[in-house]
Amino acid sequence: MEERETILEILDELAPGADFEGCTTLVDDRVLDSLTIVALVAELEDAFDITIPAVEVVVENFNSVDGLTAMVKRLVEDQLD
Amino acid sequence: MTSYFSFIFLAAFLPTAVAVYAIAPRRARWAVLLVASYLFFFWLSRELILALWVSTLAIYGTGLGLGALIRQRDSAVKAAKSGKREIRARFARKMKIVMAAGLLVNFGLLAAFKYLHFFASVIDGALGLVGITLNTELPVWAAPIGISFYTLMAGSYLIDVYRGTVAADRNLGRVALFLGFFPQIMEGPISRYGQTADQLMAGHPVTRANLYAGTLRMLWGLGKKMIVADRLNAFVKPVFADYTAYDGGIIALGAVLYTVQLYCDFSGTMDVALGMGRIFGVSLPENFRQPFFSRTAAGFWQRWHITLGTWLRDYIYYPVSLSKPLKKLTSKARKRFGNRYGPLLASSAALFCVWFGNGLWHGAGSQYIFFGLYYFVLIVAGSLIEPTAVKVAERLRISRESAGYRAFQIARTLVIIVVGELFFRAEGLDAGLAMFGAMVCDFNGASLVDGSIFGVGAAGIGLDGHDLAIVLAWVALMLVVGLIRERGVSITERVAAWPLPARWALWYTLFLAVIIFGAYGTAYAPVDPMYAQF
Repeated sequence: MEERETILEILDELAPGADFEGCTTLVDDRVLDSLTIVALVAELEDAFDITIPAVEVVVENFNSVDGLTAMVKRLVEDQLD
Repeated sequence: MTSYFSFIFLAAFLPTAVAVYAIAPRRARWAVLLVASYLFFFWLSRELILALWVSTLAIYGTGLGLGALIRQRDSAVKAAKSGKREIRARFARKMKIVMAAGLLVNFGLLAAFKYLHFFASVIDGALGLVGITLNTELPVWAAPIGISFYTLMAGSYLIDVYRGTVAADRNLGRVALFLGFFPQIMEGPISRYGQTADQLMAGHPVTRANLYAGTLRMLWGLGKKMIVADRLNAFVKPVFADYTAYDGGIIALGAVLYTVQLYCDFSGTMDVALGMGRIFGVSLPENFRQPFFSRTAAGFWQRWHITLGTWLRDYIYYPVSLSKPLKKLTSKARKRFGNRYGPLLASSAALFCVWFGNGLWHGAGSQYIFFGLYYFVLIVAGSLIEPTAVKVAERLRISRESAGYRAFQIARTLVIIVVGELFFRAEGLDAGLAMFGAMVCDFNGASLVDGSIFGVGAAGIGLDGHDLAIVLAWVALMLVVGLIRERGVSITERVAAWPLPARWALWYTLFLAVIIFGAYGTAYAPVDPMYAQF
């Protein structure tokens, strides 16, 4: 749960005023444009101490908070030694 | 046979391919498609089919090499108790070398066929600066049909296997068909392995519903291409070839009509390609989504040649903007300039690569590079101005979602598009600048209404009133269809629900429209699909 809350905080900071909770079309509806995604990746990497490779930047991972949370959890686990 | 629009292709080749495919046993249908694809390729490019085969074997072999390394890596990681990161890094280095070798073969062929003279002139120019002159006499080769399109598909397969998003394929037939499928070989769409490879092998039966929807879509595309694009060529060609003979008004009209021509030619060819795919039960990705309703230049590129845009986004933009040095730059810049402007530096560097690549992909001419950089500047400027535009609109109490504001944005974007296409079509950058200059400084509205437009081109083959009326009527029809689609309505699905007589009435109306109003015969020069040259 704490990953999800951190992600929501980051998103609120990057795109204030948008409704992230129930949205499953963040990329499709351009709530997250390519510029915001570059900033979001940098924020997520800092916050969770992970590396997000370009291959992870796909609509399925970035369209919803659930997608982002699942990606972060997976990368945190993968990148543990 | 020179393209999908040749009589022999439409009347003999395609019906034969469909008939043989339909009666072949399901497990052999992929082979029918492959043979038809190679026949089509050979017909158009003769022995240059060897280039396609080299590309096919190169990605097949490289894919298998990458697949073997991935399996070794996974078992090494599984067996290790610690140091997994190092194992992954070690294998990543090896995999990068293998992938680079495969990419080098494919893009090397593309460079040899399309950019040899461009690179030679760049090298000659650079050496000339230090006083060395090389008299390089290079051969002039014709390029294999669709090499710019299938090379990007080949590259995406290798990168996807490297990334692990698709598995390396052991079936050479599937790899060959993915790369060579004849409906998309000339002008795309640039599909990904995960999108089409399995569909092509499935051997779906030819159903009545697919045959109807596929041929209807083809007729719609034939209409765009033969009724509008080919007819407009009679006006556009002389204006661009002999621009000094015309004033700014005629040149502006030439730029507008070229934009319409290019859209009808390219999106019409896509309708034909997607329609043919549909007949074989293959769903190819869409390449256009009402591009002239875009509100920004960036938005336009999300609706125009979509598969090229997404290719550049996935394989250039994100890998460059998320590369280690640029990530560091973003982190530093964010602290200093905030979250809106901070990532702009890294993003701009990546966008530069995207737009330079976009320009160069279209051709090695200075006008194409300029075209790419034109959009680079506009899109970066758009990102810089956006926050200020929001504030100004708030201050002036203008709703950015109001119909008036949207109309303003669409009109502004249309001007940007038409100016871009003027440079794109011009015969060199100098010609483009001269034409743009004439359009701005020597604009004469009178020449648009005094009948001068009917005097463009050689007597008898220019645009006449009859041509113009047909073009306008078809464009109006396209506008209505575009508005319906823009509302999210799928016309194909709607039509499928119509009663049988209505469906056939529509089919025959389109068919007759193409036969009666299509620009072909002795009065019109045949026009090859425009994007096939890129």
